[in-house]
Amino acid sequence: MPDIILALLRIIFLGLVYLFVWQVARAIGAHLGISLRRKRREGTKVVMIKSETQQGTELEVEDVTVLGRSPEADVLLDDPYASEFHMRLVAQDSGMVLHDLGSTNGTYINGRRVTAPTTLRRGDNIQVGKTVMEVR
Amino acid sequence: MTRNSEGALIVAACVLAAFGVTLVNFAQERSVDAQTALTFLVFLIAFGGLHMAVRAFAPKATPLLLAPVTALTALGFFQIYRLDIAAGTDRASFQRWWILIGAGLASLTLLLFNRGSISVLRRYRNITLLISLALILLPNLPVGWGFPLRGLSVNGSRLWVLLDVGFTTFQFQPAELAKLGLVAYVAGYLADHQRALREARRHIGPIAFPEPRQLIPLLITWGVSVLILISQRDLGASLLLFVGFVLLLYAATGTTGYLVAGGFLGLIAGVASYLAFDHVQRRVIAWISPFEHYEDEGFQIAQGLFAMGTGSLAGAGPGLGRPDLIPNAATDFIFAAVGEELGFAGTVSVLALFALTISVGLGIAFRSRDTFRKLLAAGLTFVLAVQTILIIGGVVRLVPLTGITLPFMSYGGSALVGNLILIALLLRISHEEAQ
Repeated sequence: MPDIILALLRIIFLGLVYLFVWQVARAIGAHLGISLRRKRREGTKVVMIKSETQQGTELEVEDVTVLGRSPEADVLLDDPYASEFHMRLVAQDSGMVLHDLGSTNGTYINGRRVTAPTTLRRGDNIQVGKTVMEVR
Repeated sequence: MTRNSEGALIVAACVLAAFGVTLVNFAQERSVDAQTALTFLVFLIAFGGLHMAVRAFAPKATPLLLAPVTALTALGFFQIYRLDIAAGTDRASFQRWWILIGAGLASLTLLLFNRGSISVLRRYRNITLLISLALILLPNLPVGWGFPLRGLSVNGSRLWVLLDVGFTTFQFQPAELAKLGLVAYVAGYLADHQRALREARRHIGPIAFPEPRQLIPLLITWGVSVLILISQRDLGASLLLFVGFVLLLYAATGTTGYLVAGGFLGLIAGVASYLAFDHVQRRVIAWISPFEHYEDEGFQIAQGLFAMGTGSLAGAGPGLGRPDLIPNAATDFIFAAVGEELGFAGTVSVLALFALTISVGLGIAFRSRDTFRKLLAAGLTFVLAVQTILIIGGVVRLVPLTGITLPFMSYGGSALVGNLILIALLLRISHEEAQ
């Protein structure tokens, strides 16, 4: 009889060890998962959905990204209506913020011209000249 | 995870320690005695106390670190207790005291840094270096010169210091504390010179190499490692110091050339010490062919492999194996002892707990904005990781065996105290970064 109890206890012990490891691993995973999920929710990805030459181009904004017609901009906007340095995208905890850098022809979010730094939401449309980008 | 669930997990790990001890007693004597309650109480006071210290002095520290550390200590402790019964020694009661002392000193570390910031270690890094070097040289003090502090040789390595306080004596390995000081010094040095080290590099093919002048710190560390190997005959500490430094240098600069140069220097030192020292030769022979040298050099490694083989998938069961047949089972070979009694399943859980602890440590380093704190967190985690890899790798015959203890699990007070203080420093860094 004691042998059966012992065998049972052994398995319970190993089970407890694994339950513990699982709990710790889940906690650490959740810790990582939260930050991953938040990143996706923020909408830090911009996709060019309408453009003559750059259709389908995707860009991931990690920190600060400047878009413009100049080759020195972080991301080139191949659009004759875009300014040399047209706009700046800044990834923040609250979401991505768009700054228009005093462009000649302006930046439009969902059809409205940007006059002040604007926080972008997922699904917003950004229009520069004939190029349309979507926040994802 | 919140602080409360960390507390709950720590209590669960204390239950694991007590449960393990109970199982050993039950298997050996078919009875349960007061050891169960005593173990639970000691673990609860030590790690519950440390948890409370974190709440009080570093409330924003990550709640992910203490639970796996408690579980590792628990799994190690129950094996030490089990080996005691077989060998008739009383190491578990010493280890109990060391667990209490270690957790107490870790709490004290949190309290001390609570008044300032961890960056004092950067400002006074030269003093830290001097203290660390003095600690490393402490065991070379002469024996029998009337002073209550003296050096001691154990197993051919001169690593111990004996403190005679009249009614009792304490033995400790000061190098275990010195390695924390050395990491702090190197992190401070690299934080101050990071830019210069990063910019001065040349590309040879795809690999970036540092300027020859920038290799001087690498050469100095290499020299110190070789010196430790010669003067104290301690392969493990020497290797740990060097590998840890090369990794930290790589982390600070992102220059792959350091890894190449470090590997090259390590190879030279390895081959040279193989040719020069017979104790290194014996280690290599035991590693390559333990069964051909079963009678002498290979005995320990072979016994360790037999133990893990006997353990099979689920182990012989706590208290039911014969891990005491492995020489030094409670210190260097505790992983093999766990492998015999808890089997493959047990060793995988140990590896998982180490992996989780190390990933949390690296996570603290990744999230740190301040360069010094980033490098210190990375360096401390590297020390833990390299120790774990070297000794577990040695036991399973992946690398030559180096006499190094398995963090948190092996019997040995100085190592436990040093590693718990290391955890306290990581917690402090994580607290400061969250502010």
